[in-house]
Amino acid sequence: MNYMGFIIGFGLLLFAFAWQVSLDGIQRKITARIHKRFGPPWYQTFLDIFKAMSKEPISHGWIYDFGVMMALGGTMATLIFMPVAGIISFDNMDNFFVITYLLAIGSLGMAMSAVGSGNPWASIGVMRALTQMVGYELPFIITVMTIIFGFKTSSISTIAHLQQGGFLYWNMFRFPLGGIVAFVSLMGMLGKKPFDTPIAPAEIASGPLVEYGGKHLAMLILQHEFSTFIEVSLFVNLFLGGGPTIIAFLTKYFLVYTLTTMIATAVGRFKIDDLIKFYYKVPLAMAVVQALVVVFTGLGVTIWF
Amino acid sequence: MNSMNKIIEDIKSKYNVLNIEQPTKQQVSFDFESRDIHAILAYLKSIGWNQLTFLTCVDFIDDKEFQLVFILMNWETGITIQVRTRLDREKPLFKTIVPIFPGAKFYERDVHEFFGVEFEGNEDSKKGLFLELWDDIPPMRKDFDPQKYSDKKYAKRDYNVDFKKEGEER
Amino acid sequence: MVLDEKDRKTWEELGDFFRGKSMWMMHFCTGCGAIELPPAMTSRFDMERIGMGPMATPRQSDVLLVTGYLSAKTLRRVIYSYEQMLNPKYVIGFGSCTLNGGVYYDSYSTINKLDNYIPVDVFVAGCMPRPEAVMNAFKDLMDKIKAGTANGWKKYQENKEWYEENQKLALGEVDVKDEFHE
Repeated sequence: MNYMGFIIGFGLLLFAFAWQVSLDGIQRKITARIHKRFGPPWYQTFLDIFKAMSKEPISHGWIYDFGVMMALGGTMATLIFMPVAGIISFDNMDNFFVITYLLAIGSLGMAMSAVGSGNPWASIGVMRALTQMVGYELPFIITVMTIIFGFKTSSISTIAHLQQGGFLYWNMFRFPLGGIVAFVSLMGMLGKKPFDTPIAPAEIASGPLVEYGGKHLAMLILQHEFSTFIEVSLFVNLFLGGGPTIIAFLTKYFLVYTLTTMIATAVGRFKIDDLIKFYYKVPLAMAVVQALVVVFTGLGVTIWF
Repeated sequence: MNSMNKIIEDIKSKYNVLNIEQPTKQQVSFDFESRDIHAILAYLKSIGWNQLTFLTCVDFIDDKEFQLVFILMNWETGITIQVRTRLDREKPLFKTIVPIFPGAKFYERDVHEFFGVEFEGNEDSKKGLFLELWDDIPPMRKDFDPQKYSDKKYAKRDYNVDFKKEGEER
Repeated sequence: MVLDEKDRKTWEELGDFFRGKSMWMMHFCTGCGAIELPPAMTSRFDMERIGMGPMATPRQSDVLLVTGYLSAKTLRRVIYSYEQMLNPKYVIGFGSCTLNGGVYYDSYSTINKLDNYIPVDVFVAGCMPRPEAVMNAFKDLMDKIKAGTANGWKKYQENKEWYEENQKLALGEVDVKDEFHE
């Protein structure tokens, strides 16, 4: 047995909790500054999570309870396989497909639990979330497949390693169209403002989260923070060259996440059908063009400068 | 005001008008006998007054009468017509106008709830609309005492009243 | 019944510390007081800097703001929402209407004393209170929570019969079906 892997994985979970939750508070501060407000302290999200944990629970049946645990457990399991700055818990397990499949468990658990609560808003929210997933997954998968085809590997840490040697080697600049597509898809994954249709608070009373309170809500906030960590790390690893050091990795992470927040403060919200139309027009076309370029000319894989 | 005079002359020649008031250039009020109302509303609707803006009731307690007021609007000329009629206060009964203006369904419920006017032919009008589980006489009648009802139903807070009007008891 | 702050266990004190620092309010606006909340929420007074924010549903929220007069029909919905909230929960009554009926003291459909029907932790006087007063009330409530004296929800659990009796007296029946929400 490889006990080291479990220890590293557990450490990674603790680190992701501390980093992503405090970063969430900082993002709230940045949003507040853009609104010309003062904003909450940086540790506000910790307080929110612990406050929600301290409330009395309520249950709407065992599917409701089980789905929440499945969502949080699935997301935590996914996070353990994510390479962060070259640190891998289990060698040769940091495959892109592993992450994609495991990440679905989290969303499915949440969908199951939300529908189990029996509130019609939750069903509408889940329907919107799955529709949105169909929208952003297709362009994103085509882009990542292009990279996997070009490098002939699906190991995330190998792809990150192959981008060493200056920022011009980053996939963001090797495959510029694909990079833009992946960034737009990332915003959809995070559910940031133009793509926050599933949890529109003023429209459908925060969608899947409508019946959650107390401990269940705290667990879902944690699940959201962990999946945010996975998604942003995935983008950093695949398109920004991962990081030779932990500092470089976290700096890239911070910049990407802050950019999504700043875009989110300045825009409105898509309707769900407009969102699908948008994803299937511009990003899908760009992803296909990028794939054709890589497949037929090899540009990008063999560097052009 | 050509079209205004025309409609007044038209109504006068066709129906028995008890009284005419013209508060502004674009508004005119007619009083009729209550049995003429349905014919008049149907006629007005056929010549362009196809929006029933409002249907309400006024309590004339001294005359022992209710007054029903129908406000109609014409979108082409912009002229608003008030059609008014009086009912007996003891037994307020009126034939429904839902076949002429289907939108009156809710106004009739409203009037029934707040004044107790019954609309024959509109079974829905007996259902409550705003007041849930009301247990007194209809509250917009002038003989209803809101202060007494409030004192009976809703608890008051005891506090020192600093300022009183002269002769006020409260 | 007096619920003393010395009754608290250590973990309750810890919970109260977090509850006092992070309050999510339910956006249930009943009267004219709703107009005081946008300035309290946005750049001018910035409620988020003391850890408050609007939440969309009763399950997620901690604080119920009753902003202004309550008709008997609205009171019924307020009670539904209050009972859906998870313990510990707090109520703030805005304006003179929740205190003594305000200008609607003799109305046939408006209640006069909110704390007869649901427990209220903090009242804000005024018609309407200014956003400064509203922010001050939030601060007061936070201090009360941290001191462990905001015990309206415990009072509601212990005196359930008394509250239910009052609710029945004013509303006839609390659980009703109306044709728009069947």
